[in-house]
Amino acid sequence: MAQIAVIAKENYPLYIRSTPMENELKFHYMVHTSLDVVDEKISAMGKALVDQRELYLGLLYPTEDYKVYGYVTNSKVKFVMVVDSSNTALRDNEIRSMFRKLHNSYTDVMCNPFYNPGDRIQSRAFDNMVTSMMIQVC
Amino acid sequence: MSNWRVPLIYRDFRMSVPDYMQCAEDHQTLLVVVQPVGIVSEENFFKIYKRICSVSQLSMRDSQRALFIRYRHHYPPENNEWGDFQTHRKVVGLITITDCFSAKDWPQTFEKFHMQKEIYGSTLYDSRLFVFGLQGEVAEQPRPDVAFYPSYEDCDSVEKRIEDFIESLFIVLESKRLDRATDKSGDKIPLLCVPFEKKDFVGLDTDSRHYKKRCQGRMRKHVGDLCLQAGMLQDSLVHYHMSVELLRSVNDFLWLGAALEGLCSASVIYHYPGGTGGKSRALRLQGSSLPAEAANRHRPGALTTNGINPDTSAEIGRAKNCLSPEDIIDKYKEAISYYSKYKNAGVIELEACVKAVRVLAIQKRSMEASEFLQNAVYINLRQLSEEEKIQRYSILSELYQLIGFHRKSAFFKRVAAMQCVAPSIAEPGWRACYKLLLETLPGYSLSLDPKDFNKGTRCPGTHRGWAAVQMRLLHELVYASRRMGNPALSVRHLSFLLQTMLDFLSDQEKKDVTQSLENYTSKCPGTMELLTLPDGLTLPPVPFTKLPIVKHVKLLSLPASLRPHKMKSLLGQNVSAKSPFIYSPIIAHNRGEEKNKKIDFQWVQGDVCEVQLMVYNPMPFELRVENMGLLTSGVEFEALPAALSLPAESGLYPVTLVGVPQTTGTITVNGYRTTVFGVFSDCLLDNLLGVKTSGSTVEVIPALPRLQISTSLPRSAHSLQPSSGDEISTNVSVQLYNGETQQLIITLENIGMEPLETLEVTSKILPTKEKLYGDFLNWKLEETLAQFPLQPGKVATLAISIKAKLDFSCQENLLQDLSDDGISVSGFPLSSPFRQVVRPRVENRPATAPEGSKVGDLSHLKTLEAVLNFKYSGGPGHVEGYYRNLSLGLHVEVEPSVFFTRVSTLPATSTRQCHLLLDVFNSTEHELTVSARRNEELILHAGECQRMAIQVDKFNFESIPESLGENGQFANPKQLEEERQEARGLEINSKLDIHWRIPSLKRSGEASVEGLLNQLVLEHLQLAPLQWDVLVDGQLCDCDAAAACPVGDPVRLEVRLTNRSPRCVGPFALTVVPFQDHQNGVRNYDLQDTVSFVGSSTFHLEAVQPSGQSACLGALLFLYTGDFFLHIRFQEGSRSKELPPSWFCLPSVHVRALGAQA
Repeated sequence: MAQIAVIAKENYPLYIRSTPMENELKFHYMVHTSLDVVDEKISAMGKALVDQRELYLGLLYPTEDYKVYGYVTNSKVKFVMVVDSSNTALRDNEIRSMFRKLHNSYTDVMCNPFYNPGDRIQSRAFDNMVTSMMIQVC
Repeated sequence: MSNWRVPLIYRDFRMSVPDYMQCAEDHQTLLVVVQPVGIVSEENFFKIYKRICSVSQLSMRDSQRALFIRYRHHYPPENNEWGDFQTHRKVVGLITITDCFSAKDWPQTFEKFHMQKEIYGSTLYDSRLFVFGLQGEVAEQPRPDVAFYPSYEDCDSVEKRIEDFIESLFIVLESKRLDRATDKSGDKIPLLCVPFEKKDFVGLDTDSRHYKKRCQGRMRKHVGDLCLQAGMLQDSLVHYHMSVELLRSVNDFLWLGAALEGLCSASVIYHYPGGTGGKSRALRLQGSSLPAEAANRHRPGALTTNGINPDTSAEIGRAKNCLSPEDIIDKYKEAISYYSKYKNAGVIELEACVKAVRVLAIQKRSMEASEFLQNAVYINLRQLSEEEKIQRYSILSELYQLIGFHRKSAFFKRVAAMQCVAPSIAEPGWRACYKLLLETLPGYSLSLDPKDFNKGTRCPGTHRGWAAVQMRLLHELVYASRRMGNPALSVRHLSFLLQTMLDFLSDQEKKDVTQSLENYTSKCPGTMELLTLPDGLTLPPVPFTKLPIVKHVKLLSLPASLRPHKMKSLLGQNVSAKSPFIYSPIIAHNRGEEKNKKIDFQWVQGDVCEVQLMVYNPMPFELRVENMGLLTSGVEFEALPAALSLPAESGLYPVTLVGVPQTTGTITVNGYRTTVFGVFSDCLLDNLLGVKTSGSTVEVIPALPRLQISTSLPRSAHSLQPSSGDEISTNVSVQLYNGETQQLIITLENIGMEPLETLEVTSKILPTKEKLYGDFLNWKLEETLAQFPLQPGKVATLAISIKAKLDFSCQENLLQDLSDDGISVSGFPLSSPFRQVVRPRVENRPATAPEGSKVGDLSHLKTLEAVLNFKYSGGPGHVEGYYRNLSLGLHVEVEPSVFFTRVSTLPATSTRQCHLLLDVFNSTEHELTVSARRNEELILHAGECQRMAIQVDKFNFESIPESLGENGQFANPKQLEEERQEARGLEINSKLDIHWRIPSLKRSGEASVEGLLNQLVLEHLQLAPLQWDVLVDGQLCDCDAAAACPVGDPVRLEVRLTNRSPRCVGPFALTVVPFQDHQNGVRNYDLQDTVSFVGSSTFHLEAVQPSGQSACLGALLFLYTGDFFLHIRFQEGSRSKELPPSWFCLPSVHVRALGAQA
């Protein structure tokens, strides 16, 4: 696992966490550019897929070292995960379940009455969940 | 699809220069190279090149087919070697342009032309040489391949020449096509190959079926290319299909790929007559192809498919040969996967990807396009030069833009920008880098206008966007602009960074950014001007609205002493003009609305006005703000800038900005300006978010004079409790002894610019518990007003006398004291009080003996406060009906001087007089003298108490005019009584005229008994309403003087009663009792033998009506000589109980009976 990002509907980061802290900007760029694909996929899905409630967007694009996966909630909040492409243990199903976990945790954050939607996520519970997820994958 | 290609093959390329601008339509074009020979100025060359390029399409006269030409001024010859593989890569025409001014140079020039031809020799169909400048004999000779023009201006026939040239190319092309197309039978077909294949086929069996098929397939493909170029779209499709079948069977993948791509190209041309190259293509042609032309260029092809073309084969194969849009992409994919098997075909693969992307962009299939592009990114060409890298990244960026992937596009553009200044480049292209960086802004949703920053966000005031990448880009812009040598730009970008990204900067970053900003601005200060870049982009100014953050803006009224007031009368007129009603809720409502905009106070022209801002420093260090001033409109305003220094992360901090309005009217405070870190900012309130303002518009009224008051008294630290909205500008204080009077000299100075024309002085005494007697403040304004108008700088004075006269009683229960002293009220006068020894009070009153406690009790200060209001006006403001009000607070501390601890009366010998006994106590710490009228001075030591007796005539209070009569009806009886008592006190006091003096301090004052006269004392002092007169022998007998009468003769005794009371009194019975006083306390009443009455000793008086008079007469006969006293008594029961005893105070009669005179 390299990075987990939560991106607001307006396409700015609500939460970003990358494991190798050095070269963080590279991941920023990677996730930022992946939003093009997310946008495209969302618009391509159009109305047809809204009913199916398929939130997982699948592999957004592969790079030489990483794979970028995406997930979008009904409120158009995006989750982007960047994983090491050498990690073959991660299959689609694992990624999917991780996204679901992330989504649940995000929902918890939103349930906090003191959290202002649109602000950066500073929840410790969310942070811990991401940490555990990263450890589990690495 | 991501694994089409085998990425690990190392490729060795011969054809190494990709043309990123390629698009599918290029397959139908003929490549013509236009080059200069010898020394031709770039300007001239491109002038001709442009004209040549305008002829990019030509319809053939005889065949109704169209020919498309692609011009290049540079083409690598090694790419030319791939001409057999795809004929549009083949240079078929060469046009050279040269300068030649003399016939002597001509052969040499011509030689150069030939040398140039050699480079592309093997593939050229035809060539032309354009010679400029040569005239004369040589030029006369007509040559088919050379055209002479006298100059670059005089060359009208260039286009015509080009058309001829294209026609000749067409003829060659047509012949080649026919040649190849027909020679399928019998003859051995040559194997076409790409450069890197040549060595592979050495020693291959040329007779095998496999080989033959390969030759056939490749040739078919080649013919397809030629057909496409020659404008025979349907033919080419047929050929390509055949070729694909042939080549697939022999697994000739490279050429199979080419055949498939040919099929795709032809289909694209068929499906998208508008072209896939889009704008970039037009740019590449440097504007030579007009838009209209570009739209028309495929018309001939379209006509062909409409059946005008006589070629029947086209009609047959049309429907099935042409690929559907979906198939095009599939075939492209297939072709690319074949190409990717060959490491040397990288450029071909790359270009195919680019072409496919363009087609997909038109089909709006961005996802697939991105996959093609992704693939293209990974095609490793040989070591690219820096310039090629830039080109590659730029084109990737452009293609991503094309498919709507703006972020990806921005990413590559930024990479390209960075490539421009890579450390390996000797001369970094900062300018180009900067330009490319600017182009990435939209991709990062960044606008360089700070106003855009808060637009369209859910919560205004907060920054939205990917701050990390935006910040990086801004940093790069700053750096690039600095290296470009444009400090103004760096300052602008850095300001923008600081302003918009403040929330995302760490403390260290904030420090660093401001540090570098200060460094830049030391050379080039930041301005509020619009910066315009050479390419037309404008950078709006960045005002630092967050350095400091302004939370609250409040316009302050002038200080109370300078605040203008509207004259009442004029105000009244205004109100009546508005509405006939005194009060209407509708008006009140309107006024409330108006209030939002306009503030209900005024500023005055020429006077310093203040605006208070609450500011906040968000920086982790001290923020120095310089030249902070107001921005206003509506009135000429002189802003007086301030400099301030805000501590690190300060809380809200009040800052007052000042300025002077120079004209009158309505002024609006629009904002403020600052200089922070060397950057000038004009911050408009409208653009500030979260700023609370209580209106920003205020009226400026004409100038008024300014009055300054100074007094002879020291200023006081006491501030009066503000009551009823009075604001006191100055306070003075004075200490007075009770009863003292002091002069207060007020100096009035006009310190304004306008003459002071009117002045009105009023005073208001603040409510106090203390009872004040007499006029506290007194002044005469006439003398002062005589000096008016007071010109600026001039001074006038006003004298005010302050008289503090409080209660002189010592708050003790005097009444009780008085009733103790029974004798003084009803006792018979034993002797004159003057003879009585004055006994110190101390003796009588042991409770007050300890000196200290006594002082503590009595000497506490009392305070009087008053406000003097000076209303003044003058100058233009006066004309407009405004005045100013200056208030002077007066704080008077009254120290007790003397107290009258006890008051009592003693009857004097005359019933018309009495003695007022005052126990005077000196509560000061100084020796003090007290004097009353007609009395000598009484010296009192500090803390001493002495009795003082003053003989006074009794008062006839009825004679005091009852001024209260008229307003008496409103006051209750108790009040009335008080008022009456006060008036009596005043009367008594004026008679007494008691003064005290402290010789050591040279201070003196009055003392008043007003406060301590109670009902009882007053009664004693009052002249009784029943006036009794006793006449002995016709002589009024009142005083000590004894009436003389002879012994033996009856003496007439008359008692008269005058009733001044408002009621009827009487009847009375009086008894006369004579006695002798032995002066030793023994009185002898046994005088039957000595005195006898003529008639009765009892007198009877009739009832007396008010203001009536009555008298009774009797007679006495003294038998012996001696001093006799007559005591006239009322008989028991005859005196009515309801009347006070003092009314029945008859004078005592002293009769001296003398022996009969001889």
